[in-house]
Amino acid sequence: MRFLAYGAGVALMAIGARGLFLHVPDLLGWAKWVVGAVVLHDAVLAPAVLLAGAVTARRHVLQGALAVGGVITLVALPMVLRLGRHPDNPSILPLDYGRNLLIVLAAVATTAAFVRWRLR
Amino acid sequence: MVRGTALLNPAAIGRRFTSRLHDERVAAWLGIALGVSFTTAFVTGLISHFMQHPPDWMVWPSRPVGLYSVTQGLHVIGGLATIPLLLAKLWTVYPKLFAWPPFRSAGHAAERLAVLVLVGTSLFQLATGLFNIAYWYPFPFNFPVAHYWTSYLLVGALVVHVANQWATARRTVMTRPEDGVWRRGFLLTVAATSGVVALTTVGEAFRPLAALDLLAPRRPGTGPQGLPVNKTAQAAGVTAAGPAWRLRVTGRVGRELSLSLADLRALPQHTVRLPISCVEGWTAWGTWDGVRLRDVLRAAGVSGGARVRVESLERGGAYRSSWVDAPHWHDELTLLALGLNGEPLAPDHGAPCRLIAPNRPGVLQTKWLTEVVVA
Repeated sequence: MRFLAYGAGVALMAIGARGLFLHVPDLLGWAKWVVGAVVLHDAVLAPAVLLAGAVTARRHVLQGALAVGGVITLVALPMVLRLGRHPDNPSILPLDYGRNLLIVLAAVATTAAFVRWRLR
Repeated sequence: MVRGTALLNPAAIGRRFTSRLHDERVAAWLGIALGVSFTTAFVTGLISHFMQHPPDWMVWPSRPVGLYSVTQGLHVIGGLATIPLLLAKLWTVYPKLFAWPPFRSAGHAAERLAVLVLVGTSLFQLATGLFNIAYWYPFPFNFPVAHYWTSYLLVGALVVHVANQWATARRTVMTRPEDGVWRRGFLLTVAATSGVVALTTVGEAFRPLAALDLLAPRRPGTGPQGLPVNKTAQAAGVTAAGPAWRLRVTGRVGRELSLSLADLRALPQHTVRLPISCVEGWTAWGTWDGVRLRDVLRAAGVSGGARVRVESLERGGAYRSSWVDAPHWHDELTLLALGLNGEPLAPDHGAPCRLIAPNRPGVLQTKWLTEVVVA
């Protein structure tokens, strides 16, 4: 069963690798983005999170709030920075994302404060 | 000096992770959630891919009307909700990066290579997907092509990883822990983060939750005539069609037609409610007025099983024409639309005439029509 799964997995990877090789002209550019994503996560993001964890050691609710707020900020960042705005098309990125992110982060902070109060 | 060596020695680094949440049980639960998420994204992604590029033997139904809206909404909003899961999982297993010795055997090396492919492609798919829905293209490759082929690499590595971890994950989730580690709180926090990401973006795909749409790149109802636009007339290089505009019906027809706007308006008019469901995950419904495509094709004497290609005034671009298969052009909801929400079509919505059909990606709702070619 396990070897069947290995076979299927390797076959799928081979299909993907072949497709990338045939249809992505700048394969090196693609590889830089995949490897870059791993390096950015393992060498920058994860150590930064560990550092934040060490600084806030044993204050678990604060750690949780920082992690939740941080991840939501990461997801919202391309919208907040409006990197993909099109001057001819105001229906793309029509909202005030900076303000909206602050609303969501305020809700996270309020929830964390409530949890901390309940745990006392 | 001792401290310096400790920092450089991976085995020593591995021992420095003190949180007890870096454990198998947390990794197993997050892994199960990620397995479900990525499988859903793969299946819905394949649906979107093969709706846009069907092999010859594949014909999609025109109903249910909102099927593509659901599958693509699941793909994009589900994908966004996967970001917190992936980051939590990587945090949980991060100490394993410093496993020493790095490779115990050839099998162990292969296992770690599969994990490297899985981590790299997972981060790649979620990051490029996020940038794509934010309409930001900083990468040197075509997004749909790279996203499509990378998905096979990801799912292949996922299958290998699941085969390697199945027994461990099964054992760990089937036994009740008695060590007092507060995993439930951690996992609930991760789930809540995914929930917040989904709730603050799903409004772009699901109108009843539009009020919660705080972070989505689109808002249904925002755009010319109350509908978002992907490509404007200006971006497509299309200028307003004058009185000389004609819609030509050519190819394997009984008789060719050349219809002016007045000719089209003289045909039986119909009003339908249909969504634009974009590959970027947003869905916005509109009330469209126009002529049924099947009425025009029948007037041209087209046989029932024919495939039809609609062509745009747009000169270039990947989506300047699209195929309309028999189930779609026979559908009474499929219109050559002339109006939207009670007004003549705005230039950005494809004036003077566009295609609007049920259960179809937005990029195939071809705008600025000039010709209908019967194959």
